[in-house]
Amino acid sequence: MNQQEIAEKIKALLCTQLGIEAEDLTNEIPLFADAPEGLDLDSIDSLEIIAGIDEEFGVSMTGVEKEVFYNVNSLAAYVAAHIA
Amino acid sequence: MTKNENRCVVTGLGLISAIGNNVAECWENVKKGVSGIAEATAIDTTDCYAHFAAQVQDDSLEDLPDAEQMDRCVKLCIKASGEALEDAGLTDLGDQTSASVIMGSCIGGVSSVEHYYRNGRPAADVPKIPIAAIAPAVAKTYHAGGVVTNIANACAAGTISIAYACDLIRAGKAEVVIAGGTDALASIPFAGFLSLHALSEAPCSPFNHCSGITLGEGAGAIIIESYAHAMQRKVRIYCEVLGAGISSDAYHITAPRPDGAGQMYAIRQCMKQSGITPAEVDYINAHGTGTAKNDEAEFLSLHTIFDTENPSLSVSSTKSMVGHCLGAAGAVEAVFSIQALTEGIVPPTVGYTEADLPCLQQRAGQMDFCPNQAKHKSLTTVMSNSFAFGGNNASILFSKKPGNLTLPEKQERIYLTGIGVVSPLGNHLDSLIAQFAAKVPMRSKSAESRIDRSDFAAYGLKSSFYRKLDTFSQLQAGSGMQALQDANYLVTDENATDIGIVVGTSDGPLSTICHYQENLFEKGTAGGSAFQFPNTVYNAAGGYLSICSGIRGYHATLTSGIQSGLASLAYAVQILRSGQSKAILATGTDENSEIVTEFYEKLGCFAADGAFHLSDGSTSILLEQESSCRARHATPYAEVLGYGMACKATDFAQLACSESACEQAISLALQDAGISVDEIDGVIGFADGLPVVQQIEAEALTHTFTNCLPVFHVQSIAGEGRAATAALSAAYAALMLSGKLGEIVACDNGIAIAANLLHTLLILSYSMNGGHTAIILSKAQEQEM
Repeated sequence: MNQQEIAEKIKALLCTQLGIEAEDLTNEIPLFADAPEGLDLDSIDSLEIIAGIDEEFGVSMTGVEKEVFYNVNSLAAYVAAHIA
Repeated sequence: MTKNENRCVVTGLGLISAIGNNVAECWENVKKGVSGIAEATAIDTTDCYAHFAAQVQDDSLEDLPDAEQMDRCVKLCIKASGEALEDAGLTDLGDQTSASVIMGSCIGGVSSVEHYYRNGRPAADVPKIPIAAIAPAVAKTYHAGGVVTNIANACAAGTISIAYACDLIRAGKAEVVIAGGTDALASIPFAGFLSLHALSEAPCSPFNHCSGITLGEGAGAIIIESYAHAMQRKVRIYCEVLGAGISSDAYHITAPRPDGAGQMYAIRQCMKQSGITPAEVDYINAHGTGTAKNDEAEFLSLHTIFDTENPSLSVSSTKSMVGHCLGAAGAVEAVFSIQALTEGIVPPTVGYTEADLPCLQQRAGQMDFCPNQAKHKSLTTVMSNSFAFGGNNASILFSKKPGNLTLPEKQERIYLTGIGVVSPLGNHLDSLIAQFAAKVPMRSKSAESRIDRSDFAAYGLKSSFYRKLDTFSQLQAGSGMQALQDANYLVTDENATDIGIVVGTSDGPLSTICHYQENLFEKGTAGGSAFQFPNTVYNAAGGYLSICSGIRGYHATLTSGIQSGLASLAYAVQILRSGQSKAILATGTDENSEIVTEFYEKLGCFAADGAFHLSDGSTSILLEQESSCRARHATPYAEVLGYGMACKATDFAQLACSESACEQAISLALQDAGISVDEIDGVIGFADGLPVVQQIEAEALTHTFTNCLPVFHVQSIAGEGRAATAALSAAYAALMLSGKLGEIVACDNGIAIAANLLHTLLILSYSMNGGHTAIILSKAQEQEM
């Protein structure tokens, strides 16, 4: 699975698990920044992302620095580097 | 000093928890610092990082009469209520309308949801599921015939129940109330708190390691009586219940405000209403859950309020022994607080090692958190605090003295100044009025409201907010914001605590709860969703409404079946009359979905002749004190003259003989409004297509009114949207009285009536457990204030 494929899977996960509209979600948009620049995600959303990535890719994100959660690209890069 | 007519006294206590099956057992163990926390056996904790819980060990619960018809939470509640009544020297409440039951719960019968899905979806489980089943079961067992309702404000529910019970007594609406709370351990909250990483790996350690909560279960019940009633019975009085403070954070759906502002407002309001200074509070039974965020905020609140005037205050968290009993917590802790007061013993906070104590001292300062060992101390006045999901805060005082409680000398008139509606007929008042005018009957068996991001944008809400809410909360946020807009009520920092919210719901977020449970079957207890969990609690809708509107005053969610949408108005009237708030958004909200329709199918509602149309929606109504209306130059739709509530508790959907309760509710409403039956010009009824309901309404009206009055129903057009429809009935009456439905209105039998001849209308609703609410609205005397 390349990074782009991982990014697509992460986007699908964010849409189903967090109710984000697909049209609002690009690889670049900052996830935790305030709207309209970002998607306004919060700490509960981050727990859901951690659980979702663990389930989908078997990659543990617990304790990972917050820069990794910046956007879909940064998440996909981390997963690509750590996927078994 | 508090006038005798405003005194509420405690005359009986009942308790069941992980450390005992009655008050005496529990209290002995508290005094010894015994913890009931152990490995959970009622839940499959495979793959979970936490395994502890505080479970009740009582084999006799199954011996209760009709035990097979009850969820575990009801059994716990009946047991504790029975003990409390016996302790108060009461056995049977004689179906009196002055005898009430107010019970708090966070999760109600979610264990029965699990049972339902695991056992081939038996119809028998359906009536056990809603929180609304609890108080009627207690009322049925002990024959209470007055206000019978449940408070569903998560972890603050038990405390708010006691506060509301006292409001009813002080208003002369009740003489004796069984008040308290109950919750049983279940997979959903365990999985949910686990997903939020809020469960502690070790037994919880409040004000110490603060590594999370340990869930408990149990029930607490206290018998509260008017002073006069207790004196007349010549019974032992444990203590007085003084005032309460209730508020909302308007901050976050799970986390408390880090600055403790909402908690502090509740604590200060409680002392202010009671006429008590911080120096007079001798002990506080803290919320003390053991999460870092709660304990941090609570340390801050307590230090800020008490350090100067009362530095050596005693504080403890009994959750260290009984776990976090959620909706029962406030009630269980009220019993411990009252026992502490009566015996002059401060309960300990257990779980400290020698090595922990220097750190505690650093954080506690001069305050005494009673580590590990109970202490003798002369106590006159004690406080119990509960802070809940949704940012809901409640504080209450118990005292050996009557305190200095003040209530307004003269009750203000109450006006209805704003209406917001989300329904299958449309998401705006104008579209609804058009539908009422067109009188197109609902044809579909089951109808659902739709609210989308563009609706939210019209209410000034962000789509990032929309996505967090489940349907139930979306409906509530939509109608609530609309009602504020309709009333032109601008919530600002200055008036945010002057306005409150009382949500009424029959079934709560039922679809979300069921989906959550189904997901747990698939993924196990460790697979719960952190995102969805906050939406499984009934008071999430009110919490989100508080967040998006900025409302930070009084806050309650009540659930008592279909009538909840009218009962919320009655509740709001009580809070406004007692001066605890200047304005309240009173609402009725229920959602429909495939799951909800399945449940009503199982109850046999669609069996008759196709006349029952299940529906949903949310109706929010802004009620204001006259002075608030005048200050804002608001144009009221109508004036609320009075209300009445009564219950002839029956098995779910049996409703046998409940017309007597309907007649009593009408009679009490007339009495409250100070008018005679002849002054009623029309009735908005509750018949919803179920033959038995139609019969009850017809009989109650025939027995009450000698002449034939025009009767209106919104159910034929809007369907049975439960709490949404009950509140819509009141909105319909208000629209008619204000002339918004046109100069000529047609009643059910098609006869046209000049709207200006209708001055005073009676609105009725019911619950499937035999409860009835009646409200009387009249034309506002001045259209412009």
